[in-house]
Amino acid sequence: MKTGRYIFPRIMLVTTLLFIYMPLLILMINSFNGSRFSTVWGGFSLKWYVKLFHDRNIRRALVNTVIVAASSVAVSTVLGTLAGVVLVRYKSVLQKIHHIFITLPLIVPDILMGISLLLFFIAAGFRLSLGTIIIGHITFSISYVAATVQARFQDFDFSVVEAAQDLGADNFRVFYKIYIPLLSPGIISGAMLALTLSLDDFVITFFTAGPGSSTLPIQIYSMIRFGTPPVINALSTIFICITFMIVLIYQRSKRSLYR
Amino acid sequence: MKTESRRITIFALICILVSFLTVLSGCSRGEKSVLYIYNWSDYIDEALVEEFTEKTGIEVISDYFDSNESMYAKLKAGASGYDIVFPTSYMVEIMNKGSMLLELDHEKIPNIGYVDRKFLAMSPDSGMNYSVPYMISTTGIGVLGSRTGSPEKISWNIFSDPGYAGRMTMLNDVRETIGAALKYLGYSYNSIDTEELEKAGDLLISWKKNLAKFENDQYKNGLVSGEFYISQGYSGDILQVQEENEDISFIVPEEGTSISVDNMVILKDSKNTENAYSFINYLLEPEVAARNIEYVYYLAPNTEAYKLLSREILEDPAVFITDDVINSSEILLDQGENNVLYSRVWDRVKAATVD
Repeated sequence: MKTGRYIFPRIMLVTTLLFIYMPLLILMINSFNGSRFSTVWGGFSLKWYVKLFHDRNIRRALVNTVIVAASSVAVSTVLGTLAGVVLVRYKSVLQKIHHIFITLPLIVPDILMGISLLLFFIAAGFRLSLGTIIIGHITFSISYVAATVQARFQDFDFSVVEAAQDLGADNFRVFYKIYIPLLSPGIISGAMLALTLSLDDFVITFFTAGPGSSTLPIQIYSMIRFGTPPVINALSTIFICITFMIVLIYQRSKRSLYR
Repeated sequence: MKTESRRITIFALICILVSFLTVLSGCSRGEKSVLYIYNWSDYIDEALVEEFTEKTGIEVISDYFDSNESMYAKLKAGASGYDIVFPTSYMVEIMNKGSMLLELDHEKIPNIGYVDRKFLAMSPDSGMNYSVPYMISTTGIGVLGSRTGSPEKISWNIFSDPGYAGRMTMLNDVRETIGAALKYLGYSYNSIDTEELEKAGDLLISWKKNLAKFENDQYKNGLVSGEFYISQGYSGDILQVQEENEDISFIVPEEGTSISVDNMVILKDSKNTENAYSFINYLLEPEVAARNIEYVYYLAPNTEAYKLLSREILEDPAVFITDDVINSSEILLDQGENNVLYSRVWDRVKAATVD
């Protein structure tokens, strides 16, 4: 019995995969269910998708989500990368404090971040809007980007930097020609992480959102009780497909980067 | 060295500029005439909102909440900018005690006269000083006709019938469920008499023997699939179930039931008060109210709109509330400190073992 040894790990693998993906699968199947209630199969139907695309509010929430995700990823990738490089390159007491500040959002609970951001915005006289959501998302995304960029330094060969400096490259050039290309896998995965976090963040967005700036997670949540759940299923299915696509593209590009 | 540091400065400046631009792009909004509303989802006919915008040029931007509590938390935490909110009557009281609501100027809402006086009589804000009723619904019993012989009338005491044991559900809601027992005993839904509440608790425990469970959501699946025959539920929920299974009918128990009213209120810190008034006035126009009823399938208490409703709606007990029901029913009021009395009885009911 050659395969006998592998039976247990295989069972574990299959059950783990089922545990993770069955709920998604059920949701996706239900999005094609003609009936509103999940326990009854009302025949195959695309009506929830049609309804979804006719819903003005969902469209608006989608646009808001894209704006928030794009701008928070753009800003936090730049700032996070700079922070990551600086934290590894320079050592001082101030950098230690900097390090604490950067890692703090990773461990502070979302609800605390959300409420304190809200209190801050109100105290500072900001009008809650898409802008405040974007600031909120940037604050927690920077930490993730900085962390992934720092991780890339594990097998970083600093002699390359020294060689470049020997050959007369200034700091900017070193950053642009050495750090950025070598760190790009870390930067990209940080950006991807920031993107997915921004797309599905609920708690912080809930507190920092102003009138007319609901994002998709907020919209979905408010629809759960009185709206039409099948529309949410359809929306989630599309969401899942997009996320999978992003991951797929990322995996592909990573492979070509390492080659 | 000089060029290098200058380059870095320029690079940093660009980064800061980019971040500010993206952040500001979210903030800027033209000086258009706008109105921000905070509502339950699927609770207004969007076509009516679009027509309002066409007519007045006021752009309506809506956000949605899933419960009175989360809406209240958000507003109380300091989120401002909303003009009209749609809280349930008990939340109107709470918000008013926190002086969050604007006192309404009836001169600016000429259509306010259409509001059905019968519902105002039982409302805590019967003078419409700070809230205008928007939609009204009832709690009742969803019945599977083929299994129960399609009764014309039903009593809350149906839950004592052992013939349906294990096929019935009641709501998992302190006020609704204890209230139903109180009402059957001839007391008020808002009773704060300890003796009456204890009796209601005893009755509920005797009903519990026959109940499959206390449940707020999954019972709908059970009704559609025919697992449950008799379920206490909100009219709006039973209507959704009816769409899937025509065998189900909604009956208001003969003893009366609880009526729930969602209201329109203008917040004190509203910046578009005039627009808010004209939107409320628009929703009170009889034709608009009638179309809104036909869309959301709740009853807007508008006496002129009743005349424009189709027969189908007028005869549907889940939408149209007859005078008989109004006379015997009550609105659930905020009990404040007396909520403790209810939760004590509720704990006893939930903990009681039945075999």
